Amino acid sequence: MGARRAIGRILFYLLVALIIVYTVFPFYWAIVSSLKEGSALYRVDLFPPHPAWGNYVGIFQQQNFARNILNSVIVAGAVVAVSLLLSVTASYALGRVEFRGRTALLLTILAVSMFPQVAVLSGMFELVSWLGIYDTIWSLILSYLILTLPFTTWVLTTFMRDLPKELEEAALVDGARPWTIITRVFLPLLWPALATTGLLAFITAWNEFMFAITFTLSNEKRTVPVAIALISGASHFELPWGRVMAASVIVTIPLVVLVLVFQRRIVSGLTAGAVKG
Amino acid sequence: MEAVRQRSEAESPAAAPAELTELTRQRRRSARIFVLPMLAVLAVVAGWPLLRTIFFSFTDANLGSLEGYKLIGLDNFQALAADGDWWNAVFNTVRFAITSVIIETVLGMIIALTLNAHIPGRGMLRAAVLIPWAIPTVVSAQMWNWMYNDLYGVLNHIFLGLGLIHQPLAWTANPHLALTAVVLVDVWKTTPFMTLLILAALQLVPLEIYEAARIDGISPLKVFWRVTLPLIRPALMVAIIFRTLDALRIFDLPFILTGNSKATASMAVYARQQLIDFQDVGYGSAASTFLFLVVAVFTVIYITAGRVRFGTGDR
Amino acid sequence: MAQVVLRKVTKSFGALQVIKGVDLDIAHREFVVFVGPSGCGKSTLLRMVAGLEDITSGELFIDGARVNAALPSQRGIAMVFQSYALYPHMSVYQNMAFGLKLARSDRATIEERVRKAARILQIEELLERKPRQLSGGQRQRVAIGRAITRNPKVFLFDEPLSNLDAALRVQTRLEIARLKDELDATMIYVTHDQVEAMTLADRIVVLNAGRVEQVGSPLELYQRPRNLFVAGFLGSPKMNFIRSVAETVRPGQLTVRLPGGAHLTLPVRDGAPGIRSGTQLTVGVRPEDVVPPERGDAVVSGGVLVVEQLGSESYLYLRTEGDQTVVARRDPGLEAKVDQPVKVGVRAAACHLFGADGLAIERADPPPA
Repeated sequence: MGARRAIGRILFYLLVALIIVYTVFPFYWAIVSSLKEGSALYRVDLFPPHPAWGNYVGIFQQQNFARNILNSVIVAGAVVAVSLLLSVTASYALGRVEFRGRTALLLTILAVSMFPQVAVLSGMFELVSWLGIYDTIWSLILSYLILTLPFTTWVLTTFMRDLPKELEEAALVDGARPWTIITRVFLPLLWPALATTGLLAFITAWNEFMFAITFTLSNEKRTVPVAIALISGASHFELPWGRVMAASVIVTIPLVVLVLVFQRRIVSGLTAGAVKG
Repeated sequence: MEAVRQRSEAESPAAAPAELTELTRQRRRSARIFVLPMLAVLAVVAGWPLLRTIFFSFTDANLGSLEGYKLIGLDNFQALAADGDWWNAVFNTVRFAITSVIIETVLGMIIALTLNAHIPGRGMLRAAVLIPWAIPTVVSAQMWNWMYNDLYGVLNHIFLGLGLIHQPLAWTANPHLALTAVVLVDVWKTTPFMTLLILAALQLVPLEIYEAARIDGISPLKVFWRVTLPLIRPALMVAIIFRTLDALRIFDLPFILTGNSKATASMAVYARQQLIDFQDVGYGSAASTFLFLVVAVFTVIYITAGRVRFGTGDR
Repeated sequence: MAQVVLRKVTKSFGALQVIKGVDLDIAHREFVVFVGPSGCGKSTLLRMVAGLEDITSGELFIDGARVNAALPSQRGIAMVFQSYALYPHMSVYQNMAFGLKLARSDRATIEERVRKAARILQIEELLERKPRQLSGGQRQRVAIGRAITRNPKVFLFDEPLSNLDAALRVQTRLEIARLKDELDATMIYVTHDQVEAMTLADRIVVLNAGRVEQVGSPLELYQRPRNLFVAGFLGSPKMNFIRSVAETVRPGQLTVRLPGGAHLTLPVRDGAPGIRSGTQLTVGVRPEDVVPPERGDAVVSGGVLVVEQLGSESYLYLRTEGDQTVVARRDPGLEAKVDQPVKVGVRAAACHLFGADGLAIERADPPPA
């Protein structure tokens, strides 16, 4: 009996180890590859024999990667700010006030989050051209809203709904109007929720690829995902994989750190958005 | 003292409309004003473009000059129905979605069960599992692209070394392997999401149930099939449906791994190719509309089936 | 002069009517308690007075003005919630000052009113703390303080003691009783606890399933309940309800036959309608009014089922003829052991009489002093 338990335990831990290797290895390999220059890339060494920073220097010097990062930050930041602003008041109404058409509205928002991006592409392309913002980051700030707005509204509505009713009633008796209730009673309580929602929306905007590659042309306007995808574009014999990996690592490390630090909040935010509704 | 009156009236059915307090009226007024900005923006960025796309699918519009188009009725759709490449893309997408979701669910379940068991190192496992989710899709695609490289990729190196294969495989170029390669990356990227959802559902199951089962001496496997699974079924179904809808819409991964290759093109890849590369806005829009309808039908089924969850909400 | 008047007030949620027509007059500085079992509508009624619920039909007047449509903050009311509902991110001072700040009062007024309320409630040292640093009883006082600073005409309390433990409940009850005298305002208090009702109220409104059963002073309700519900609701243990049969009906007098054959004669008001020999009636007698047989006007015999010892007093549960249970408070002349046969007496002066419809049959004599 004891032997069987022991074997079972060992197998179990083996499984856990396997899962960890499976999930982490590609990331590890990317880091390793980014530190290999030139011909070192053509050898498969688990650990770089002569770690070098040439790739990292290269993407900033020759590829203007810093500009790409800046673009991504501006776009994602702006989109999240606008989304949260619009969602806060809307979520109060959707989460706490009974009015005709509320359910229909909630369903509409859910439906919009299910749109395939390509289904709005031609229409959005026309809109972007018409507004004259093609090949600018404005086109992205505008188009990304279709991704972030439903999400932030939905998640914030769940959080708003969960705030205690008596707190609102006390404020009403004190003479607060709805706007005051949102700003001076609820908002201070919602900061963690806003931060989490904002973070998740930021990650979504940061990752977006289809609109970014369709609506931008010049390198100075590109965002990070496009830049990383196009580093490999040309069909030369010497693919700059080292550089691709370097760019990948630069972009990924802050995200990984952020996610690891805010693990618990992110997990509850994701499940609040999905499982509850 | 003052007069005391306490007559109780006979019951009257609630037929007359209630006179609302200023409070209710004020709240409803504010509510409508509060949702307006969000709705307006949504109408502009989602509603309008969608309607335009659907409109374009009935025209022969061209990307170079969007204004000069003619209405051509259902021609685009008829061409689509006869287009072998399109149906190939549909088939690819469906195959991809089914395979991906099945693997993600099973793997996610295994990992979630592991995380749910109180073992030391649980935090490390959870952190490790979150990493693929945190990495942008494009980056994941490129990382795996590099690992898939037929000449210098580490995967071929390991498999050759283990004796599993005798020739380096062209993972992304070989049409027979390409879809599998894409599925593997998607599984790697999205299993964390499934894991988290399943884990949340598992954690809602009270511990006493497991303890009772242990006292009764029921084998862990049976406990899983007969007890755990039925209890987490609702949340599991939600997760599966969400993932399936996501998988049907996929674009980034196949595009970056294999470009517009026919072996792996999803519906979204195909539609965009028509739209942007071939500049055939009419045809591309028709394909997009078709994809939209497929997802819409699924979504409607899901929403009406799960309607009970929303409650009544309005009076 | 704050007066709260309800006229034919009803409340429906969709097709479900929860308040079925209430008329009430509450005078200035009166302490009125709404009491009743869960779901009777007492909280709903309170919230309608506050303006947090719409009034389906009927009229509500506060201080002579019709306030059906008015905002809660326009009605001159303040409310103390069951869960205190303090703003978690604000200090005690800010909590109490919030309403005045919204009304754009100047700093001097705010300072003066908050400090005065804090003094009355003895929470002056807590003014800079946040709610999470306070105990349950302290939070309760802050909630009351917040209501006081509003200087309302009517205070509304929604089961404020329910979340406190037993000892704290008694202490806070005393403090509320003290507040009654200090503040110059009308108070409406909702509770399901009849002890709170009896001890705090000037008048009690007993509610049942959306209807007012009876309104009166605590003593009035206790000694002259108008129907079975009120009789059984106030007083613990409950009043005994003994099924009896009317025997002789004469003008001004009614004789009933108790289980076991004893006869009880009660003076009744003329015109007790529809009562004839043979009509089923209910005789009500409180456990403390069940006496040793030699002191009673009628004797009932039975076997002892259970003896409950509470320390300060004990209760005997008797099974009488006709399979009815009678509870008697044990006193020196009334000793018995389980399964023993025992005789108890009831005094006509302490008995209540109820007709088949549950309504009390009015007595002709005044209630005991």
